[in-house]
Amino acid sequence: MEFKVSPLTKIISLSGFLALGFLLVILSCALFHNYYPLYDILVFILAPVPNAIFGGRSYGSSDFMSDSSNNGKDLGHFFTGMFVTSGILMPVIFYHCQLIGSVSCAMSMIGGLIIYSSIVIFSWFFHSSWDNEEDNLFG
Amino acid sequence: MDSNNSDRLFRFPFSLPKLHGVRTVSVYLSGIFYALGFWVFLDAALYSKHSNASDVHVTFIDWIPFLCSTFGMLIVNSIEKNRLLQGALSNDGGISSSFGGVDEAMAWQARSILFFGFALLAGGLSGSIVVLIIKFLVKDYTSYPTVGMGINNVLGNIFILISCVVLWIAQNIEDEYSYSLTL
Repeated sequence: MEFKVSPLTKIISLSGFLALGFLLVILSCALFHNYYPLYDILVFILAPVPNAIFGGRSYGSSDFMSDSSNNGKDLGHFFTGMFVTSGILMPVIFYHCQLIGSVSCAMSMIGGLIIYSSIVIFSWFFHSSWDNEEDNLFG
Repeated sequence: MDSNNSDRLFRFPFSLPKLHGVRTVSVYLSGIFYALGFWVFLDAALYSKHSNASDVHVTFIDWIPFLCSTFGMLIVNSIEKNRLLQGALSNDGGISSSFGGVDEAMAWQARSILFFGFALLAGGLSGSIVVLIIKFLVKDYTSYPTVGMGINNVLGNIFILISCVVLWIAQNIEDEYSYSLTL
């Protein structure tokens, strides 16, 4: 990593990004007085939870004889893929069932993707900073 | 299959992904397919509830094949594959013959539960086709926005079946990988 960005800048820009996502989803509800797209926020916030529960620590590398930890990790990956696809498909299905309009569909989908990607990028920064910290401790 | 120049399989700067990565990606893919099946089916239910111009509606009958497929997938993928492997080994009279009786009973249970799970999956798919035929096609609801509810049901069950197959293959990849590691 050539140029160092201070962690405070990262956190501030990511929170702005996250707020932009929430703004898009809430605007897609409030502009049309139709609050179905709020479920999209719920799904996209639930999406990183299984990976955080099952894949946070890597037991799998420590002992590979037992595959129960790998099964847990698989479960986390399965549910993450399921939630992300649900969050993308949900506005499309609502649009197809004429519950929301097309503009509202596009806005809530983009807003949900922004929320999810900001959460993922945040956890990514966090883990990489942990790794650097460990390297600094032991090296 | 020699890969002597800078351990690369192809000439192009292109390499087959590692087994571990394939397993992760296929588990994600399985989740994606499951969500696709779920939402394609839920599309039919929501369409029937909110914007249905015809007089045929999605009732609990239409939910039964979906529930069968989901339970079948749950059963099939929650079985330890090692039990089946142990049963095969003890049938050959091979390595794990010291506790052969327990293995035999366990393998028999695993096989019967696995058969039950696959029967539920196949029953879900065929049940959705039966619902499509009896509820829509026989009663001459063949124009598209109405018959779409039955077709979405079949498509959802097919997606759940694909998801189950992908998850099964992913777990078998993982088994071979760990087997080669332990040997």
